[in-house]
Amino acid sequence: MKRWLALAAVIVAVALLPLLLDPRGYWIRVFTFTLLFAAMAQAWNIVGGLANQTSLGHAAFFGIGAYTSTVLLLKFGISPWLGMLAGGALGGLAALVIAIPTMRLQGHYFALATLAFGEVMRVIANVWTSLTGGPGGLSVPFVPPSLAAYSFKLLRPHAYIALAALVVVTAIFEIIRRGAMGYRLRAIKQNPAAAEVIGVDTTRVKLQAAVISGALIAMLGTLYAQVAVFFDPDTVFGIASISIRIALIAIIGGVGTAAGPILGAFFIIPLEEVMNDLLSSRAAGLSQLVFGVILISVILWRPRGFITVFDSLRARLSRSGAS
Amino acid sequence: MSSPLLDITQLRASYGEAEVLHGIDLSVSQREFVCIIGANTAGKSTILRSISRLVPKSSGSMRFGGVDLAALAAHQIPALGIAHVPEGRQIFPDMTVEENLLLGAFTARNARDLPARIADVFELFPRLRERYRQLAGTLSGGEQQMVAVGRALMLRPKLLLLDEPSHGLAPKVVEEMHQAFKTIHERGTSILLVEQNVELALDVASRGYVLEAGVVTLAGTAAELHANPAVVTAYLGL
Repeated sequence: MKRWLALAAVIVAVALLPLLLDPRGYWIRVFTFTLLFAAMAQAWNIVGGLANQTSLGHAAFFGIGAYTSTVLLLKFGISPWLGMLAGGALGGLAALVIAIPTMRLQGHYFALATLAFGEVMRVIANVWTSLTGGPGGLSVPFVPPSLAAYSFKLLRPHAYIALAALVVVTAIFEIIRRGAMGYRLRAIKQNPAAAEVIGVDTTRVKLQAAVISGALIAMLGTLYAQVAVFFDPDTVFGIASISIRIALIAIIGGVGTAAGPILGAFFIIPLEEVMNDLLSSRAAGLSQLVFGVILISVILWRPRGFITVFDSLRARLSRSGAS
Repeated sequence: MSSPLLDITQLRASYGEAEVLHGIDLSVSQREFVCIIGANTAGKSTILRSISRLVPKSSGSMRFGGVDLAALAAHQIPALGIAHVPEGRQIFPDMTVEENLLLGAFTARNARDLPARIADVFELFPRLRERYRQLAGTLSGGEQQMVAVGRALMLRPKLLLLDEPSHGLAPKVVEEMHQAFKTIHERGTSILLVEQNVELALDVASRGYVLEAGVVTLAGTAAELHANPAVVTAYLGL
């Protein structure tokens, strides 16, 4: 009960934040992208955390979502909300197609195979100019503002949509984690041999996780496209800009936990912005170097993610409370 | 005699190009306790893994209560009433003893008697009751094996497949474990035991097969095998 109250308080506090930020300003944009990346890392967490398959190819599904809704809007004037559903279906399908040959791979082999798939999608988007506009990218057309058309004058509604998306994806993650599917995935993660002899259909569960994760991240691709207004293959199918970034967010925050990707996103995305802001004008590339040093320190200091800081704090508090 | 519970004829199994079982005939009757003995790499575990459909390439006939096992996938086997305790304490280390046990019964259709099933396991292994909320990975080797066996029993299986259950355990625990197997058998479960400790295997089982390089070279009652000079010199070291 206490935990639910605390959770509600955090959500309300985060929901109030956009009202305090300048609606035309820079920080509400950073805030919106932070929420979006938290939701993406949470969707990744279903495969990367629960099934323990470190995918480095989730940009493939993300880009499919961004392109599907934007192409449907540009060519047929279809609302991005419907485009989001179409993109989700295509993203789930793509996740199924890639999962069938790769799910038997373990560790690095799985990571590399998925990485390659993300790259294939980037190359396709670059050369299929008639559909995607090629390397020049796509601009989301501005239509008269309305919720039904997913078009707004200011960033505030985008921030709230991103927040709602984060809450929904996190809820889906928790439902899976606590339910029968979560137990099956944990069983496979901890001991594949034992999982098989107790009757877990390992193939089916892994495919389910891959499809749910891929479909969710594709839907978030539409949200990204609507906020960013312009994107090209290198941003939405990018290894560093999407695939590795979302995996990193979840890993830094605490993989396999619901709070991990959220903590990770609120650390990494603002940090990147601050680094770029402070350092890029003085020495190009230095921000990346400092960013890298910070990440390495975090991994050395907290190999299981930021979430463990709270565990040790709680342990310390209860110890001092007892004495 | 009625038809056996498990009836295997001409089972061949391969890993990649290498065939490890070259035509095995083996049966287990209702309420029977059968053991398979033989040296390492003879293919003992492969027989159990074939029954559980964990060996991708196998041929021959395997029937369990009239059902053709070859037509099924690995995850469909437990629902028939075949529980497999794989070699080497295959537990879920980061789950509690409770969660490990419950997962053993997750394919069971009727979930209302789970407390009764857990009580049965506790009666057999009282030590698990004390360790109920503990992470299974933090238990001793013997206790982990109890979890693995207990998890299999949660299925209330008709046939229990035991793969080297005493391997690497302290002699006292081995004794305890075999006592538990006797009890499980007396309660009405058929058992197929693979065991390197031939003395112990022939003590608990009523019938046995001797496997050498993928071929059954001897079969008979435990008493017959125990008296057989070939078994004595090769496995009992007397």
